[in-house]
Amino acid sequence: MEFITFKDLNKLRSIINAISTSVEVKGIIESAGTTLPSLFDFSVFGVLWKEGPMLSLFQEESCPPAFTQEVVKNMLKVFSILGEEPIEVERVNLQVEKGKLRNKQKVMDPQASLKSHLTLPLVIEGEIIGCISLNSDQANMYNVPRLQFFSVLGYQMAASLKHIQRFSTVKKEAIYDTLTNLFNRRHFEERLSAESQKAFESESNLSMIMVDIDHFKKVNDTFGHDGGDKVLREIASLLKNSVRKHDTVARYGGEEFVLLLPGAPLDPTNMVAERIRRLVENTTFDMGQTQIHITISLGISNFPIHRMKSKEELVKMADLALYEAKRGGRNRVCIFKG
Amino acid sequence: MKEGREEKFSSDLISDLYVNLLKEIWESVSALIGEAILTLLFNLAIRKIGERYSFLNSLRVSEEGLALEEVKKGCRNLPPAEIHRGFQSLINQLSHLFSELTEGVITKELLPRVLPKVREAERMVSKK
Repeated sequence: MEFITFKDLNKLRSIINAISTSVEVKGIIESAGTTLPSLFDFSVFGVLWKEGPMLSLFQEESCPPAFTQEVVKNMLKVFSILGEEPIEVERVNLQVEKGKLRNKQKVMDPQASLKSHLTLPLVIEGEIIGCISLNSDQANMYNVPRLQFFSVLGYQMAASLKHIQRFSTVKKEAIYDTLTNLFNRRHFEERLSAESQKAFESESNLSMIMVDIDHFKKVNDTFGHDGGDKVLREIASLLKNSVRKHDTVARYGGEEFVLLLPGAPLDPTNMVAERIRRLVENTTFDMGQTQIHITISLGISNFPIHRMKSKEELVKMADLALYEAKRGGRNRVCIFKG
Repeated sequence: MKEGREEKFSSDLISDLYVNLLKEIWESVSALIGEAILTLLFNLAIRKIGERYSFLNSLRVSEEGLALEEVKKGCRNLPPAEIHRGFQSLINQLSHLFSELTEGVITKELLPRVLPKVREAERMVSKK
């Protein structure tokens, strides 16, 4: 019978500390993988994280590939036994890290097979978010104290992973507009502050395009809010796909969108805006039994051409140009004229 | 009439025996893997075995422990053999899950406690 020693408890504390101070999923898994050998003898330690799905393995460097495959297979099997939807091996994003895990220089037999394992689900508030597994090429490697230690680690990992998962959801909700998946206005203001400061300091170009859907009220009145939402989502997607990766596209409010193009001079911005206008004009929106065509109006402002002194002025000038586009009969692009 | 009363008496005895055994399993295994994982395993086992032995569906499990009153009530009108088979299947299913997860570590701990009680239940049923 093996007894738990104070030394073991201290090791457990260190591992828990390493896990709970990690701020990202990768960090938690790595902390566990690198500190675990101080407490457990294993050939492979695996963490299956349902999101993705991702399977990270920390294994003895002499571990043969067949052993790795056996561990993967076994972990996926146990995961499905736990009532989770089976995961096919091909779907798993497998990450393997090899190292010297054992104190004694034991080289694994190339023909080694899985002789013992401990696999526990990562459970939090009744939900399985993954599982962890200790695997050995030695028979009867694990006992009651090791199982208890391993389950304590599992609980800590599950709590930390869940915390990170929640944090990333909250972070996402704080940045994105839930309907269109574009950045929300709050995040746009942050981007605008950063980009305008950069542009004002370096005298580099910064362009803004303000976009508004023409006669959107009519869409809502005719097809209801579901129809209106569909149009908003589709236009959002068209806008997103019409600009560069480092440009910012945001929902400014209602049926109004805004695009921020760092480094873009006025003429190319005008071309982008015109291209977007034509793209929307030529798109057919499927509203169930009817197909409709929609147009948009766009207003442009640019630093340094329009000589604004603040980010607020950049917005105001794009907005005034948009007003001009509306006044001029809609479905057009207008550049701010001072 | 007398036979019916006797059968009810045996049903109570068998359900008591298994209810205590389940409590014991809960106490022992929760100390090894914690209540959250054990709750999950119990609920998985109940869902599977409850398809065949519906009286087991009234067994409520949460991280606070097992709520066994309803299942005991449900057993009163069942033949002892049926109760025995239902609980035995549930324990087998739990053992299967324990083995899949931890191989022999949990079952080795449990067997000395579980086996004598299951045999006792078998004896009670076969006496009938």
